[in-house]
Amino acid sequence: MTPEVQLSYLGILLAIIFSFSLGGVIWWMLRVPRAISHEVAKARVSVSSFKRILVPTLGMPYSEKGIELACRLGHEQKAELVLTFVLEVPRILPLNARLPEAELKAQEALERAKEIVSLHGLEVKTHIERAREAGEGIIRAAMDHGVDAIVLGIRPRLSLTQDMLGRTTDILLRKAPCEVIIDKPAA
Amino acid sequence: MPNNLENPGEQPELRRDVTVWGSFMWGFADVGANCFLALGLVLGAAQGAGTLAFALAGIVYIMIGLAYTELASAYPVAGGGPYFALRGLGDFWGFVAGSALLLDYTIDIALFATASAGYLNYFFPFFTGHGIEEFALNLGPLKQVNPLWCLEALTIIAILIWINIRGVKESSSLNGIIGAIVILTEGALVVMGLVLAWRPELVAHQWKAEFPTLNQFMYGSSLAIISFIGLESISQAAQETRRPASIIPRTSIALIFSVFVFSIAFSTLGLGVLDWRIFAENEGNPVAVLAKAIPYIGIIAGPFTAGVGALILFISANTGVMGASRLTYSMSEFKIISPWFHAVHPKYHTPIRTIWVFSLIAIIQTLLSFLTPSAMDTLANMYAFGATLGYTLVFIALIKLRFSDPYTPRPYKIPLNLKIKWRGQKVEFPVLGVIGMIGVSLILFEVILTHTIGRIAGPAWILLCFIYYAWYRRKEGHPIFRSVERDWEREQIRVLESAEEYELLEQYKLALAEKAKEKR
Repeated sequence: MTPEVQLSYLGILLAIIFSFSLGGVIWWMLRVPRAISHEVAKARVSVSSFKRILVPTLGMPYSEKGIELACRLGHEQKAELVLTFVLEVPRILPLNARLPEAELKAQEALERAKEIVSLHGLEVKTHIERAREAGEGIIRAAMDHGVDAIVLGIRPRLSLTQDMLGRTTDILLRKAPCEVIIDKPAA
Repeated sequence: MPNNLENPGEQPELRRDVTVWGSFMWGFADVGANCFLALGLVLGAAQGAGTLAFALAGIVYIMIGLAYTELASAYPVAGGGPYFALRGLGDFWGFVAGSALLLDYTIDIALFATASAGYLNYFFPFFTGHGIEEFALNLGPLKQVNPLWCLEALTIIAILIWINIRGVKESSSLNGIIGAIVILTEGALVVMGLVLAWRPELVAHQWKAEFPTLNQFMYGSSLAIISFIGLESISQAAQETRRPASIIPRTSIALIFSVFVFSIAFSTLGLGVLDWRIFAENEGNPVAVLAKAIPYIGIIAGPFTAGVGALILFISANTGVMGASRLTYSMSEFKIISPWFHAVHPKYHTPIRTIWVFSLIAIIQTLLSFLTPSAMDTLANMYAFGATLGYTLVFIALIKLRFSDPYTPRPYKIPLNLKIKWRGQKVEFPVLGVIGMIGVSLILFEVILTHTIGRIAGPAWILLCFIYYAWYRRKEGHPIFRSVERDWEREQIRVLESAEEYELLEQYKLALAEKAKEKR
């Protein structure tokens, strides 16, 4: 005896859901990401290894671009950013001398820098480092915080004479205890 | 047995031949076949609540599956559950998990070969004019002994031994082709059944009027876990899978999903097409009975499903041979059993001795089970014990490894993790792992409570294995309850290198460098 046909809307709906869900999951399974070579993997992981990045800021647009770059660099591995303003104290004053104007400027620069980092949802630390030379202050901060990289945005136009950021860059490239990434925007 | 085996000391590697489809099919061939066995048993016990029994066991199975996915992609070696237990809990627990799963693999070979022969017997009357049951004999105190069916099952096991000695590529291809046919057949049955034969009012009626007692339901849900056993196969094939850390999470998740959907679909369909009693009366071929009840296609679908059932049960038995041989290969590597098992064939690169030994154990189990009135019942009764014990240990190992080895990159992590600090390091505590451990422990408890043969034969097997383990470890001067010293970090680097998972390798090296930095 042939069984009777029993059509039901619910049965048809379940059959459609079943077909699409099973087909979909097998389709997803078969689309495996492609393999990468050992060299490519090394290059990728070497960047992912930046778990703590120091960014010096002067509150200038090129410094802030450096912060944005650092955030994007640390985004995938959820890196922590250490934002440092190096307060250069003239040699005629003691290192802990009060410099209200410069300190206010530093606070404002760090607040703006924090705002950039907060847009990326990364952990952030701010820090004012007092030093005679910006470069040495940055290196000291890098060592104190045990950072994996320093990202430095420098001014687009460097003068022929030795200016502050040019000298800072030079010190960093020679003495930094970690990787240094320098961004010089187009002039 | 060939006598020109390679020196075990040279430790030749297993070939990485299994592709994404092959990996999926190793699992599906094993788990997908369970429905052909379990549908009648579960609906017979859980009656109108059969779908609920499958769903509850399925939820536990999903958690087990996710735990395996995390561990197999993080540690892509051939040991599966026992390797994870050994890595997380030490050699002794690795041995316990290994012997429990070994019991399952040998039963898997015997049970599925017997069931495959059972489905083939559907065609017996067409050729001989007699049903297979007519060949059963009463030999003194032994009732309903069926030597013909037994011989069929033994022939199937012999074919499987030959296939597996030839190498994984051949058997993987076989699994792939037959598995694809089975998925299409099962899928077509579900779709056609839901469209042409399914009556929601019958499901509702059976739920309302035929709800089981608590004891019946417990028995049914403990049987339902049988329909999900076999996920281990994907982990067992990890050492032969190309790019395992990328492929295994995908194949495992796809397998978990598809098997869960199939089991729910078949039980829902079954209860909406036929009375549960019909499945209980046809425990040997419930899916074929269901197929026969579908209008228009039933007349062809019945015998066709019987044929497909025989095929999928055959490849499920094949994954049993594969799993047992790979597992013992791994256990011998870790000094749980003798390195005598470790030798691989010089030409085919397959662990020939383990294939022979454990297939012979399956043959003995088959012969003994056929001395009882129902070979299938006897074998099925022991099946759940080994798996649930092994799975419980895997969950404990998963939790422990989150604390003891947070450095190994995990391409997949089970969901619901609690970030905590433990001994100065950040650890993600797996809440779902704890829930899964409780769930599978409850099923183990149900098995011990309700399976009369399993609760005696299971522990007896573990005890027997322990006697061998203790003898071997003492002979070799290794501790029995403590672990042999191992350099897991070097081992992990070697595994990731051989798997060509370079990104994970670099991440692991970085994590180790950070660990060293923290120590300083």
